[in-house]
Amino acid sequence: MSTHTVLLPVASGPRIRAVLGELSRPHRGSAAVAVVVLVAGAAVSLLVAPLLGEIVDRVARRQGADAVLLPVLGLAGIAVVQGLLAALGVALTARFCETLLAGLRERFVDRALHLPQARIESAGAGDLTSRVTDDVSAVSDSVREAVPELARAALMVALTLVALAVLDWRFLLAALLASPIQVWTARAFLGRSEPLYTAQRIAGGAQQQHLLDTAAGLSTVRALRLHDRHATGIAERAAEVARLAVAVVRLHTQLFARLNLAEFIGLAAVLVTGFWLVGSGATTIGTASAAALYFVNLFTPINVVLFQLDAAQTALAGLRRLVGVADLRRPPEPDEPATVRGARVRVRGLTHHYVEGHPVLTDVDLDVAPGERVALVGASGAGKSTLAGIVAGVHAAGSGTVEIGDARLDDLDADGRRRAVTLVTQESHVFAGPLAGDLRLARPDASDDELLAALDRVGAGGWARALPDGLETVVGDGGHRLPVVAAQQLALARVVLTDPRVLVLDEATAEAGSAGARALEESAEAALAGRSGLVVAHRLTQAAAADRVVVLDAGRVVEEGPHDDLVAAGDRYARLWEAWTGARGGEPAPSPRS
Amino acid sequence: MLAYRGRIAAGGVLFSTHQAGEALVPLLVGVVIDRAVAAGDPVALAGWLAVLALDFLVLSYAYRFGARQSWYAEAWADARLRRQVAGRLLDPRGGGETGRLPGELTGIAVSDAKRVAELQVALPILIAGVAAVAVTAVTLLAIDLSLGLLILLGTPPLLWVVQLVVKPLEKRSGAEQERAAQAAGTAADLVSGLRVLNGIGARPAAVRRYRDSSRQALGATLRATRAEGGFLGTVQLANGLFLAVIALVGGRAAANGDITVGQLVSAVGLAQFLIGPLQMFGFVSARLAQARASAARIAAVLSAPPAVGAPEDGVAPGGVGPDGVGPDGVAPGGAGRDGAGRDGALPDGDPAAGPGELSVRGLRLRRPAGGSGDRSERRSRVDPATLEAGDPGDGRHDGDDRSSNDGRHSTGRLGSDGVDLDVRPGAPTALVAADPEDAAALLAVLARESGPGDGRVTLDGVPLDAWPPEVARGAVLVAAHDAHLFPGSLRDNVMAGAPETADPEPAMAAAAADQVAQTLPDGHDTDVSARGRSLSGGQRQRIALARALAADAPVLVLHDPTTAVDAVTETRIAEGLAAHRAGRSTLLVTTSPALLGQAGTVTFVVDGRVHARGTHAELMADDTYRAVVTA
Ligand SMILES: Nc1ncnc2c1ncn2[C@@H]1O[C@H](COP(=O)(O)OP(=O)(O)OP(=O)(O)O)[C@@H](O)[C@H]1O
Ligand SMILES: [Mg+2]
Repeated sequence: MSTHTVLLPVASGPRIRAVLGELSRPHRGSAAVAVVVLVAGAAVSLLVAPLLGEIVDRVARRQGADAVLLPVLGLAGIAVVQGLLAALGVALTARFCETLLAGLRERFVDRALHLPQARIESAGAGDLTSRVTDDVSAVSDSVREAVPELARAALMVALTLVALAVLDWRFLLAALLASPIQVWTARAFLGRSEPLYTAQRIAGGAQQQHLLDTAAGLSTVRALRLHDRHATGIAERAAEVARLAVAVVRLHTQLFARLNLAEFIGLAAVLVTGFWLVGSGATTIGTASAAALYFVNLFTPINVVLFQLDAAQTALAGLRRLVGVADLRRPPEPDEPATVRGARVRVRGLTHHYVEGHPVLTDVDLDVAPGERVALVGASGAGKSTLAGIVAGVHAAGSGTVEIGDARLDDLDADGRRRAVTLVTQESHVFAGPLAGDLRLARPDASDDELLAALDRVGAGGWARALPDGLETVVGDGGHRLPVVAAQQLALARVVLTDPRVLVLDEATAEAGSAGARALEESAEAALAGRSGLVVAHRLTQAAAADRVVVLDAGRVVEEGPHDDLVAAGDRYARLWEAWTGARGGEPAPSPRS
Repeated sequence: MLAYRGRIAAGGVLFSTHQAGEALVPLLVGVVIDRAVAAGDPVALAGWLAVLALDFLVLSYAYRFGARQSWYAEAWADARLRRQVAGRLLDPRGGGETGRLPGELTGIAVSDAKRVAELQVALPILIAGVAAVAVTAVTLLAIDLSLGLLILLGTPPLLWVVQLVVKPLEKRSGAEQERAAQAAGTAADLVSGLRVLNGIGARPAAVRRYRDSSRQALGATLRATRAEGGFLGTVQLANGLFLAVIALVGGRAAANGDITVGQLVSAVGLAQFLIGPLQMFGFVSARLAQARASAARIAAVLSAPPAVGAPEDGVAPGGVGPDGVGPDGVAPGGAGRDGAGRDGALPDGDPAAGPGELSVRGLRLRRPAGGSGDRSERRSRVDPATLEAGDPGDGRHDGDDRSSNDGRHSTGRLGSDGVDLDVRPGAPTALVAADPEDAAALLAVLARESGPGDGRVTLDGVPLDAWPPEVARGAVLVAAHDAHLFPGSLRDNVMAGAPETADPEPAMAAAAADQVAQTLPDGHDTDVSARGRSLSGGQRQRIALARALAADAPVLVLHDPTTAVDAVTETRIAEGLAAHRAGRSTLLVTTSPALLGQAGTVTFVVDGRVHARGTHAELMADDTYRAVVTA
């Protein structure tokens, strides 16, 4: 039970650096070039102020109108170089950052898709989804905007300070008068904004989750007339988000007010210094003007640095969550993966629990002979789906062993397991994109003909060919919607393509409602042909058609044997069978298999 | 948007003041250079520094209040838009979600609302940008006519260049965003299908698929950033050259003695200051384009026609009242319909207070292919209640009685057929549909998710669609077989539709959900995770059923409530259900024999028409029926 939510890990600073370092190693060269270009760009732009100062000086020295031409040409030249370097700098930084980002997100998705299912579920489905969507996009945005801007602005600030010192070290000293306020503001601000952003992210996530849940359950909401409750819930969440946004703005405006104070103090100090230096003949009016212009031009980059540092905090939170997952080890693959021979299933001493102290399976033994069909039946909640999932390698067993053929499930690598066993449940998912793409998840190298053949085999060829673009029709989220029966047939077609030795069906035909189930049972029959089958079924016609029936009760195997024997034994299964047939007038319809 | 006009104006004025203050800074620096530094006058220095301080004070406060005005407006506009989208989705008449999956709807309510709300800030900034350019121009004109003219005449071409470069960039970044969104969408889709991926062992294939789409996104992004680099470079080049021209003209003027050295410094400073607002124009115009696209998506949801009710009582955008009732929840009756709903006035009283007699007449479950149905065929009809049940030889009483048409299998004529059905207090009534689509169509009409067409559905004599949908649903509860559980405790879920003081136990016992609570770690307080995924399939279904029973509606319609439970539990539920609903109206839409055995009359529908009617035991003699229910 997800009563105890354990969120997925969040990375520490050193781990983030380590992972980013590792991912960026192959791109170090391009990073270096990007830095050089950025520095050069910033350096060139610093020449503007002295050139303007030179013009002022030439005017002050009364060198005539034409004397300004030379520095003006210099300005034009700078403009050209600056434009080129800016264009190059943006492209190069982006190349480095984006490639790094792509590497990170790919690694993240790789690890995310390899997380054990139980781990994802105990974190709550929303945790991983929000990392995949929100955090990836927050980090991307920041890489796209914040990082280059921050780099440019920080360089500008540093180089301008150097340039001030070159003009006269006393100008630098004057300018630095502003910095205590700036540093103090930055620290106070960053300290206070962090918790606000955390609160914002939580509120945003809650809002998103609520909306998603409402949107997914709209018809239930309508049927039970829960509109008001949901509307109120969403309004409350939205108001919370707005309140936090307002609090953030408050903080930002306070920050800018303090920065304005710092700007004034620094500017006044530079002007007074200029006044004093010009008065004492230590410098020219032009230099004083240049110093003042330098300082005025510092306003924007300093604001940018602080602002982007702040934005980087949000990104950092996202990055922590991304790297937290990206840094996980892939579940270890066996060094020498076993190869599956044979198609039997052998389960011994299987015990499992989701919640400590609440065992769901206890000491379960189960055998399926090659080519045999075993039905797994039992009361709702008995643990059938859990057992099915463990046999298919979807859940890790608490303890006990599962063997497919002569190999332990744990000794198989991903590919071996794929060929060994497949699980189809009533929970269908049509993957977004072309229908062919969905099917190729099961066998990436399948030709179109093979795909169609698989669809034909499960009775889906008809509707698949009738789709507007055939196999290329975009299905799933945002595409053509497939009815439940079709979606389930698609799942069975995937099985045909994967061609596993063992097929586990967990009420694969139930979701279609009883009337749609029949068509699906034929499809399932086709998919089962030639494989060992473990079939979880409440529809006992399926059990009657199986070679053997295993009855599970409260997590234990309580009966097993051929259908007729169990009926004759007059115990649990017989009671189930009686309930089933009693309602059907004692005479079940012929099973599809006979 | 218009609701915030005042705030936008105030924000615009304050931001403009801020920009003007910023523009004054280089001007004042020039003045200080002239009057104090060049003249060596300490008194002037002190005086002008005081003016500078004043300027900073003004610009700082103007920004502070302007920013608060605008961003507060943004935050609340954002929340308001989200409420409106949610309000439309939650409108009892439905239709807002048509054709869109939950993820997309959430995206519209969150991201698109945010983009539109951002206009609250973008517009004042735009106003301020214009003001900044104006102030700069005026100041420059005051310094020197030719310089001022240069800036005034130079700015438009500069802007034009910026626009010229922004356009293709916008296009590119649109394509890039799409690719990036696609990659993100792929990831989210794979994660939500993880259980299925696991089942077929397709994790590695899924990882490869994501890598492909991520690489494509990367390619698109890099192309777009090259364009962006070009844009930035062009802007810098244009600005730099403009500065050089100003320096040239200004420098010559100063050399000729037309302006002072300080004024030259001011002019140059102002020209540099101008770069800020100019770049802002590009930023704002990109935002405007995004906001327009987002606004269109929001409008599409808000103006989606309701699923029930004719367009003329369509939902005004966001005009749904807090109680979810539209201005006129009554669907105009179809032609030939009598009863209270006809004149558009609400019938008196509460439909939930009546005895709960539901009657369906001539309801067509299949859309006629083209053309309006010929109503003349709806002539005198045998009252279904008087029908003798079950005549397996030829069960098509209903169809045959009125079949003046001989082509009942041609889709064009199917429209003339319809289903009659009565649900009365007492033992449950049942309906078996050979085709699940027929059942779905009937359920949609009873749930007021779609209109009855030219059929007639009445509750205690009043047409069901005379009531606003949410009122009708209070009287007729249709519980879907895949009903959604919401996050919260088990008890919260069961009690979701019930009066607050009700006791959940009887309903839970009837649905065999008491046993679920017993096996779960925290009993009734166990958290039901998103979509009830931590429950077994049968547990989930039983809780949904208990919820439907606990709501205690006068008419309860249950669709396949036991598909996920075992036969013994199903029998227990069938009995519990019948006992719990004794004396009330219940319709079971199912093919489960265990449930059908508890029903009084069973109506069997084939091809959208009533094929036979009788008790379950009687109908079992019909081969078609038997095949459907025992398969
Ligand atoms: N993801 C999960 N987290 C916590 N508990 C779970 C989870 N999945 C199942 N359980 C619990 O484990 C028990 C067995 O569930 P399982 O799904 O295996 O039953 P089942 O036999 O398939 O039942 P049904 O016939 O209703 O599908 C149930 O009590 C259920 O609540
Ligand atoms: Mg199950």
